[in-house]
Amino acid sequence: MTHADDPARGMIGRRQLFALGAAGALGAAARHDGMVGGTSERIAGTLPWADGQADAPDDAIRAGTAFLTTAERAFVTAAADRLIPPDPTGPSASQADVPDFIDRQLAGGFGHGEHYYLAGPWAKGLPSQGYQSRLTPAAYYRAAIAAVADHVGREHGGKAFADLAPTDQDAVLKALEAGKVDLGQVDAKQFFAMFLQNVKEGYFSDPLYGGNRDMAAWKMIGFPGAHYDYSEWVTRHGEPVPLAPVGLTGRPGWRKA
Amino acid sequence: MTLSRRWLWAALLAGTLLVAVVVVTWLDAMAAVRDTPGDPPPALVALLLRPIADGPNAEVIRRGRALTVAGDCVGCHTRADGLPFAGGLGIKTPFGVIFSPNLTGDRATGIGAWTADEFARAMAHGIGRGGEHLYPAFPYTYFRTVTRGDDDAILAYLKTLPPVRYTPPANRLVFPVSLRPAIALWNAAFLPSAAVRPNRSPEWNRGAYLVDGLGHCGVCHTPKTVALSDKAGEYLRGGKLDHWLAPDLTGNPRTGLGRWSATDIVEYLRTARNARANAAGPMAEVVTYSTALMSDADLASIAAYLKTLPASPEAVAVAPDAGAMRRGAAIYVDACASCHLADGRGQPRLFPPLPGNAGLQQASSTTLLHVILAGARTGPTPARPTATTMPSFAWKLTDGEVADVSTYVRNAWGNRAAPVGGDDARAMRRALRLTDAILPRPR
Repeated sequence: MTHADDPARGMIGRRQLFALGAAGALGAAARHDGMVGGTSERIAGTLPWADGQADAPDDAIRAGTAFLTTAERAFVTAAADRLIPPDPTGPSASQADVPDFIDRQLAGGFGHGEHYYLAGPWAKGLPSQGYQSRLTPAAYYRAAIAAVADHVGREHGGKAFADLAPTDQDAVLKALEAGKVDLGQVDAKQFFAMFLQNVKEGYFSDPLYGGNRDMAAWKMIGFPGAHYDYSEWVTRHGEPVPLAPVGLTGRPGWRKA
Repeated sequence: MTLSRRWLWAALLAGTLLVAVVVVTWLDAMAAVRDTPGDPPPALVALLLRPIADGPNAEVIRRGRALTVAGDCVGCHTRADGLPFAGGLGIKTPFGVIFSPNLTGDRATGIGAWTADEFARAMAHGIGRGGEHLYPAFPYTYFRTVTRGDDDAILAYLKTLPPVRYTPPANRLVFPVSLRPAIALWNAAFLPSAAVRPNRSPEWNRGAYLVDGLGHCGVCHTPKTVALSDKAGEYLRGGKLDHWLAPDLTGNPRTGLGRWSATDIVEYLRTARNARANAAGPMAEVVTYSTALMSDADLASIAAYLKTLPASPEAVAVAPDAGAMRRGAAIYVDACASCHLADGRGQPRLFPPLPGNAGLQQASSTTLLHVILAGARTGPTPARPTATTMPSFAWKLTDGEVADVSTYVRNAWGNRAAPVGGDDARAMRRALRLTDAILPRPR
């Protein structure tokens, strides 16, 4: 299988981006959601198809990659569990392996800022303009977590965030959300928004990406998962869909003895 | 018998077997080389469909082209990115590479200078213009039944092709395979004689002539002995070729054409699809370049002939493991049912129906495993130019999962065929050089 060698999946260099100009950049086909990469393709005659090849998920999502240090991971775990604590309806963020998801994402293309424009000028952007930083998301997390640790240490007698009482943890998170903490080169409000978004992604995304363990989040909301389509259900209004949740890597029923 | 004569016989036999093994390997490699992904070169099909202007020889040339199409000559005599009929397609074997010759009318490098006698000798006896033996990758074993009149018409058509000055690379074969006279041993042992036809209708005889002659269907569809001779009594019962299984064409209702009507057969050969199956793999190319362009009368003759083949015997079925069927059903619902639907009925002419599907129920699971692991593409035809495709599942399913879902579709909905093991799936994955399922499995 040669999907990993497919040059169209690689990133477009910043120089190339400039060379292409705005029109070219807009025309570049996003082969995968959220990824700018590859050039546009003109398809004529028959549909493209090659023996043994499939548009499989990227290798970057494979297990075994890690970015966070032990201390950073302790913060991510504790903070994520305040955003999604365990309750009778479903598991906590860490019970659903959300820290694994975030760690893998930071180690992969997202962490490297593959889909972001990171060169200057670095004027302060409007909220509607999305991520505005010269740091890659991984470096951004690292800087933010270090600054939060400094802040917490100063306010709570040298303690780490993970060792605070839940109410104190909530107070720290609320202060970040309100932008009331100075995190140096990182904007507290922006970091909190990004972290909250990533926690939700880890909780609900396909288990293939490391989170949503046992598809628990999908079971919680009754989502049947990654079926190719529901063509046989289109006309069956108001009926429950009894399909068992399935991820891109299958489900337990595929492997039961 | 003297000692020396005994040695002579032993040497003859050994040489014959060696050549036979080489030929088997060629045949095995042919489809791989031909199976180039992407569009058929439009110029190629356009050339085969271009009107032939009226003239003194027009009728012969038109007939010659129809016969050339029936023989799928372009299939081997056009290389990727090469000009039609100019040859140069490399057939890779462990013993080296053999290149198909230039069939265009160029006098120096093509067949422009060939006489009708020389051409007929090549077709019937596998002898080249200079008297050299041709390697049996060229199916003269089938073409020998082609009439002299048809040979002449084919040559007349080939000589009208735009001359292309092109000499294919020299064959790169190891000794002693590189010695053409070795082929004579094989010919002496295995070259079949023309079959005697029973008293049948002209349509039936035309069908038999096409199937056993230019069509050379038995190259793939008749199982072979180790020496490449047809297995006795197994005519068109299905043979393996390049990790595909060319299926049973007899009247067997489960594995053959027993449930197909003559109309079904014609539609399949004309469009690469019918209500029962889609043509994929090497057969997709045969349909695109050959049968889709044949006349209605010839396709009807082929169908009429095939429908008279007596059914191959029923295979003894082993009951599948209940656990494999349960797991296979779960995989089927999640990975296959979107197109083939939960009850397997699919979308005829788009996604083949699976209940009663002959391709699924062959004794060998070769084609099924190939299609699941590598995907498949229906051949584009003038009638149905958009090639439907099935994606590769190699990245998604483990060997055990491929085996379980294969066992399931071979035994669900009244189907019946031998269960498939994970080892079979693994062997196919290796043979096709596909990686393992890339995804981490859930804990």
